[in-house]
Amino acid sequence: MLELRDVNVAIAGVRVLRDVSLSLRPGICTVLIGRNGAGKTTTLRAIMGLVPIKTGAVTLEGLPLHEQPSYARAGLGLGYAPEDRRLISGFTIEENLLLPALALNLDAAERQRRLDEVYTLLPQLADMRKRPGGATSGGQGKMVALGRALMVGRKVVMLDEPFQGLAPALALDYAKTLAQLRQARTGLALLITESSPNLLDAIADETLRIERGAIEPAETEGNLARDPAPDH
Amino acid sequence: MLYAIIPLVVDGLANAALIFFVAVGLTLVFSVLRILNVAHGSFYSIGAYVAASMGLWLIGSGLNPWLSFPALLLSAALVAALMGPLIERTLVHWTYGRGEAVQILVTFGLFLILEDLQRIVFGVRSIYADTPMALLGVSEIGGIIYLNYQLLLIGLAVLVLIGLRMFIRHTRYGKLISAVVEDREVSEALGINTRRIFMMAFTLGVFLAALGGALATPTTGVAPGLGAETMVLAFAVAAIAGLGQVEGAAVAAVIVGLARVLAIYYVPALDAVAPYLVMLVVLLIWPFGLFGSTQTRRI
Repeated sequence: MLELRDVNVAIAGVRVLRDVSLSLRPGICTVLIGRNGAGKTTTLRAIMGLVPIKTGAVTLEGLPLHEQPSYARAGLGLGYAPEDRRLISGFTIEENLLLPALALNLDAAERQRRLDEVYTLLPQLADMRKRPGGATSGGQGKMVALGRALMVGRKVVMLDEPFQGLAPALALDYAKTLAQLRQARTGLALLITESSPNLLDAIADETLRIERGAIEPAETEGNLARDPAPDH
Repeated sequence: MLYAIIPLVVDGLANAALIFFVAVGLTLVFSVLRILNVAHGSFYSIGAYVAASMGLWLIGSGLNPWLSFPALLLSAALVAALMGPLIERTLVHWTYGRGEAVQILVTFGLFLILEDLQRIVFGVRSIYADTPMALLGVSEIGGIIYLNYQLLLIGLAVLVLIGLRMFIRHTRYGKLISAVVEDREVSEALGINTRRIFMMAFTLGVFLAALGGALATPTTGVAPGLGAETMVLAFAVAAIAGLGQVEGAAVAAVIVGLARVLAIYYVPALDAVAPYLVMLVVLLIWPFGLFGSTQTRRI
């Protein structure tokens, strides 16, 4: 569904992604593991068009995404939750969720349908829909960022280190929500980054490792879980 | 005593209304584009020239003089529609994300170009087109005579303030603008065409400045130098309020308007410096302006 082919990204002359190739498929949850600075976030940002790619291609169902402006991705069905949440603090939680629907100018019925879908999956958001986005805890903020990505991510949803900084109880909640999401939306392609592989064991269909900007050769599934977590 | 104060306050508020239109445009452009547009005052004077020329043409061609009122609005809209997108796309957008020095140099260059263009197009002599003011006449309340046009200005400024607030809080584009103000990158990732938002916000800023200029024509002659004079006033207001503050700009405009009129009435020699004296005092006490801070990025 979404393909990266030999993607190279350089920031200020330093190569941060080297010939990255990966493919996301419908219904498959791909987990991208790597230390801080290995290139996980840059991979997602390259897909979203937030950093320019030097060479290579990003395609969605054959359509070259890297030739499109960044904002076009939401309309094509890509949802993205950045690591640091980045909610609009002056908006309520519900306004935050509705923002991408507003950007895409969805009609009221479709907007409400998607919002209901998000509230079904994340009922805790419905309870705090009127609260300002600036007044959420880190964990709540991550849930809102997930809900916001789901509002537009009809085909692909990308979550950047969703477990980073979550309290254990919340992390468990979040993982459960992801499992429910996969049942509710069976055709969805998921890409999740994490620095420690253990957290996503249960839901990862495919695990990729990224090191110094390059994806390491594929390993068979299940091997990674037993590897010790990388040092930070 | 009261008899002396009321006309003074009306004068001050009418003055504040005109500065408010320009300052709120400046502050809006700053909060969305992160650019201090030094050429912003030129849109005020261009709006004034276009409105004055259109007003004179209307009277000259024997049309209904009441048409001068919609003509004021039309001239501001015309200036915004023609110049806003053009200047944003060709010049201003190159300065996004660059240092303040580049932004100020580019917009100052733009200011010089626009000033000379105005001299070429409209000449250097003052243009007077006060039909709207004459049409509205005066009213006498409690023995004091008011220019109705001044009252209209005050009313319009309040309307624009409320309208802008409603636009930002409750309309689709207003909300998209707020999101871009707070986080451009996330806005883009969520599907907002930020380039278009920048162009819209810039054009809206041009419209507000041109509207101020157009509405000012009935009260004053339009002459070269108006743009520069207005720019520094608008900047003083925006700085007093804290850059990026819409309601704050209204309050600051009232402060500056009253300060100017007070100076004119009591210490005429201080007329030109009064706004900057106020700015100086405010910034000494509140370095980020009355309503601003380093943290908040709101409109």
